[in-house]
Amino acid sequence: MKVSYQWLKDYVDLSDSVTPEELAFKLITSTVEVESIEKQGENLENIVIGEVRKIEKHPDADRLSVCQVFDGVENFTVVCGGSNVTEGMKVALGKIGAKVRWHGEGELVELTKVKIRGVESWGMICAASEIGLADIFPTKDEREILDLSHLSAKPGTTVAKALTNDDVIFDIDNKSLTHRPDLCGHYGLARELSALYNYKLKSYKTKKIKPGQDYKLKVKVENQELCPRYMAVMIENIKVEPSPVWLQKKLLSVGLRPINNIVDITNYLMMDLGQPMHAFDATKIKNEKAKADLIIRSAKEGEEFTTLDEKTYKLDKEMLLISTETEALALAGVIGGLNSGISNKTTTIVFESANFSSTNVRQTATKLGIRTDSSSRFEKSLDPHLAELALQRAVELTLELCPKAKVISNIVDEANFKLNQEPIELSYEFLTKKIGMEIDKKRVNNILTALGFELKDKKDGLLVSVPSWRATKDISIPEDLVEEVARIYGYDNIEAALPAFTIDPPEKNNLRILERKIKEILSLEAGYIEVYNYSFVSPQLLDKIGLNKKDFIELDNPIAKDRPYLRYNIWAGLLENVEENLHREEEVKFFEIGKVFDKNNPGQRVSENSGDLLPRQDIKLGLVFSGKGSKIPFYELSEVLNILFDRLGLDYKLRSSFDLNNKIVHPGRRAEIEVKEKIIGIIAELHPVIQDKLGIENRVALLEINLNELLLVYTEKNNYHPLSIYPEVERDIAFVVDKKIIHDEIINKLMTVDKLIKKVELFDVYQGEKLGADKKSLAYHIIYQATDQTLTAENVEKIHEKVIKVLEEDFKAEIRK
Amino acid sequence: MDEQLQKIKQDFLQDLKTVKDNLQLEELEQKFFSRRSGEMTEIMKKLKDLSVDARKKFGKLANEVKKELEDILIEKQIELNNQLVNKIADTEWIDITQPKLPVKDRGHLHPNTIIQNDLEDFFTSMGFLVLDGPELESDYYNFTAVNIPPTHPARDMQDTFYIKDHGPDSDSPWVMRTQTSPMQVRAMQKHGVPIRAIIPGRCFRNEATDVRHEHTFYQLEGIVIDKNINFSHMKGVLEAVAKHLYGNETVVRLRPKFYPFVEPGVNGEVTCFLCKGAGCRVCKNTGWLEIFGAGMVHPNVLREGGVDPEKYQGFAFGFGLTRLVMLKYGIDDIRNLQNGDIRFLKQF
Repeated sequence: MKVSYQWLKDYVDLSDSVTPEELAFKLITSTVEVESIEKQGENLENIVIGEVRKIEKHPDADRLSVCQVFDGVENFTVVCGGSNVTEGMKVALGKIGAKVRWHGEGELVELTKVKIRGVESWGMICAASEIGLADIFPTKDEREILDLSHLSAKPGTTVAKALTNDDVIFDIDNKSLTHRPDLCGHYGLARELSALYNYKLKSYKTKKIKPGQDYKLKVKVENQELCPRYMAVMIENIKVEPSPVWLQKKLLSVGLRPINNIVDITNYLMMDLGQPMHAFDATKIKNEKAKADLIIRSAKEGEEFTTLDEKTYKLDKEMLLISTETEALALAGVIGGLNSGISNKTTTIVFESANFSSTNVRQTATKLGIRTDSSSRFEKSLDPHLAELALQRAVELTLELCPKAKVISNIVDEANFKLNQEPIELSYEFLTKKIGMEIDKKRVNNILTALGFELKDKKDGLLVSVPSWRATKDISIPEDLVEEVARIYGYDNIEAALPAFTIDPPEKNNLRILERKIKEILSLEAGYIEVYNYSFVSPQLLDKIGLNKKDFIELDNPIAKDRPYLRYNIWAGLLENVEENLHREEEVKFFEIGKVFDKNNPGQRVSENSGDLLPRQDIKLGLVFSGKGSKIPFYELSEVLNILFDRLGLDYKLRSSFDLNNKIVHPGRRAEIEVKEKIIGIIAELHPVIQDKLGIENRVALLEINLNELLLVYTEKNNYHPLSIYPEVERDIAFVVDKKIIHDEIINKLMTVDKLIKKVELFDVYQGEKLGADKKSLAYHIIYQATDQTLTAENVEKIHEKVIKVLEEDFKAEIRK
Repeated sequence: MDEQLQKIKQDFLQDLKTVKDNLQLEELEQKFFSRRSGEMTEIMKKLKDLSVDARKKFGKLANEVKKELEDILIEKQIELNNQLVNKIADTEWIDITQPKLPVKDRGHLHPNTIIQNDLEDFFTSMGFLVLDGPELESDYYNFTAVNIPPTHPARDMQDTFYIKDHGPDSDSPWVMRTQTSPMQVRAMQKHGVPIRAIIPGRCFRNEATDVRHEHTFYQLEGIVIDKNINFSHMKGVLEAVAKHLYGNETVVRLRPKFYPFVEPGVNGEVTCFLCKGAGCRVCKNTGWLEIFGAGMVHPNVLREGGVDPEKYQGFAFGFGLTRLVMLKYGIDDIRNLQNGDIRFLKQF
């Protein structure tokens, strides 16, 4: 919203010592966000009113003309590309030295004498956007130059002066006004400033309207909830014509284009008080036979409505219309209808000054995608009292601008509103307790009074009555008043202090601790890269992998149709990462820890005592590995798994028995991860067929662990054992077995052969043609050690014989000599 | 005997001159001191054949010569070793700039994890709980419980992802949480008061992604409730965070801002860490960076959390974690954070 400094000064005596910058700073720190300060007339030096005396075609360019422009003293030759330049036109002549913005973009550029296609140009005829006037004079065509013929100023007058353009305009972020309907107009802002600076606010004076007797204006409000107040009055003998200069200037200063006196009055009041109004041509409305001239009713489902900008919308039954018995005239609080407004022929008008439900206006505007100055104000819950004030002022102005005009109807006031203005009890102690410091009572009272609150002294505090303009939704509890006092007092003036607490250590979040530990092991020790993927997955990915979409929770309104499902497998996203990165990397090693969404199991409650449960949302760890030249990536991840569990101090087992009952993983390279007889995850290679479908060239291994499950069985193991003072004896053994005999079984068996066997370590695996396709050769170090004596060769030999026997008998091993 | 000794000594000194390395020195040692056939050994052996007087006389002399030669030998050895050690600078020279091959890549934490860990540690040091909550949240906790009733404009402002069959008009609407604030109420319900807790986590807004917008982002919520926690404390704690993040000179500026779940509500800016308030590209020439929202917890929210607002009060705050990450590293495209590009991730 644009706010004029001069306009504010109409209502509050801002001292000249308050600079616009200071004022903006004050507003920013205490009230609303000021996005920019624009000083009109700045950069308009050397830009004067010029009169185009003569136009000739440019000898070398079809789209250019050579103009003689008179600046009050002499003629300048100026090359111009403007599409609308005519002889006799008053234009903005940028002389040598003037600063302009080419085509309204980029930095300011100082004009110099130039040759354009061989013709010397002594300046330029400016477009509005080139001299920062695009807001006041919007252009339809890029090549349109600024036509100032309507100004009475003589050639040579500076444009700044001609436009009496010396105001300062603040641009206030509308979003920061969300909760302050009272700041939608200059008067409200002036009130705020009076509180901030302790200056006196002028009262807003209007005269009561004297009703006319000639016509009985009848309004029926069918839905009072959506229209708490509707005021209207009819005035005849209107002469529609341009507004006087003062009014035009005011509107221009805040970025509104003057249209005609009546429309300008409604716009003026919107900017002055914040109350949107509407003026109808009475001939559309007047119907003595009808029960009601105006009906405020809900639209029919599917009813069509054409707005004043000639767009047709289909309405639904939630939307509110201003209508006659036969024709809808306006979409309440949002926009007027085509032909319902004022034309140059209008002589009798009806002013509407009403209050509409904020929620309804917002919903209508959102559904139809129409946002107007009017809707954005009603959305904030305007004070219904403003309707009356605005109507009085509008009539007053109308009678002033059209001296022959006359109120001919009664003054309609369908009021059905009740504001919650119950006085609020505010004790000084409460105020101090909330703010954390004592603010002088007198200052508190001054602040609240300046903001329009009425105060009554009460024991140890105040009884505060809320003014109507703050009572619509903004202020209803003592905490709201704390904010008023604190922000006007200044947040900067409130000292910062650290709270004192007992030194209770916080309860540990063990899941988070485990998560962080794992992240550190994987990244810092195993060399994996942490990635964050979206929680959303695409049906294409699920299809390619072969996951059933029915098992996934789906969004009701996905951002784009491409990712409507919530992830359940953390590795699905990691596979996408592999596909996207592998083409430029030798190998890809990723992990991710994040929440997944379980459609089939319940989690937390939807509210404190509800039996209704949200889906379970466990935290899962996922890892992927894929590398060029890595034929069995499985072992890359099983190594990481080893590192991880070793560092966590936890034993685990791999179980190859599990059956995914699908073709996602490699049937021969997959395992479940078991900790303390609980399955907590899987490790596998992706099935080569799916790998192909995903467009990944190399084999991929993946691992997934449910951290919530892991936490349940997580206790740190103590790995320490006393060191033996007797030496170890190491014997190696190599043998050939069937390739499906597994390492784990061999180790487990050998460890039971004798208690002097301390360790069995695999150090070589070989498979080759010489052995036969179903055979493999394994080689182990076997470490013997006693805790009470030095082992002799004979001791060791005896046990080693037993080892060989076990291998031969239990595993049909053929010992290699 | 005397002559023999003098001869050995001369021979020894003569031979020593030709010694160039340890090997030759060893040969020399063998020649004179070898137990079996060393010249010096031999002559010592002969001592026992001499008369008592002569043995006394020559014994002393022989031992002196032997000691002298042995000392010379040791000296020579030290000299040779020094020569050798002095040479390894050349002989064992390596290119210290060459990496160990094959080059081993280190792992990387996601930048968000780095910042989040740092803040978790900071708050833990002040006695805060670190909590987590559902990302798929009930409409009740996400909105109603934090004082955002069904018709409230805040529900429009935050474009919300709803869950199929749990849409906005269903009996049990579910959403992807639009903020970490629902955890304020869950935390009070579960842990009671007094409480100090932070909740870092993933949030979602239904908006199209571009350089500056993401439908998925991270916030860090905080809540402090006790009998006398006031606005001044809120300022103190947030200042402490700002100084932790950007140094002791950092200034915090609070401005009024409306959030339904707090009253008063503020929006917090800190002096730009890059230009120290002078204005630069990072702070868009304002000198300030907007990094959090905060306020005194609204009595309605306390009530939803089962806390009596007559007895307890406190503040809540929310940092844009994603924003902090982008500011810290100067990341200009928010989409990098979730697109899994190895070239991006390897930089942290």
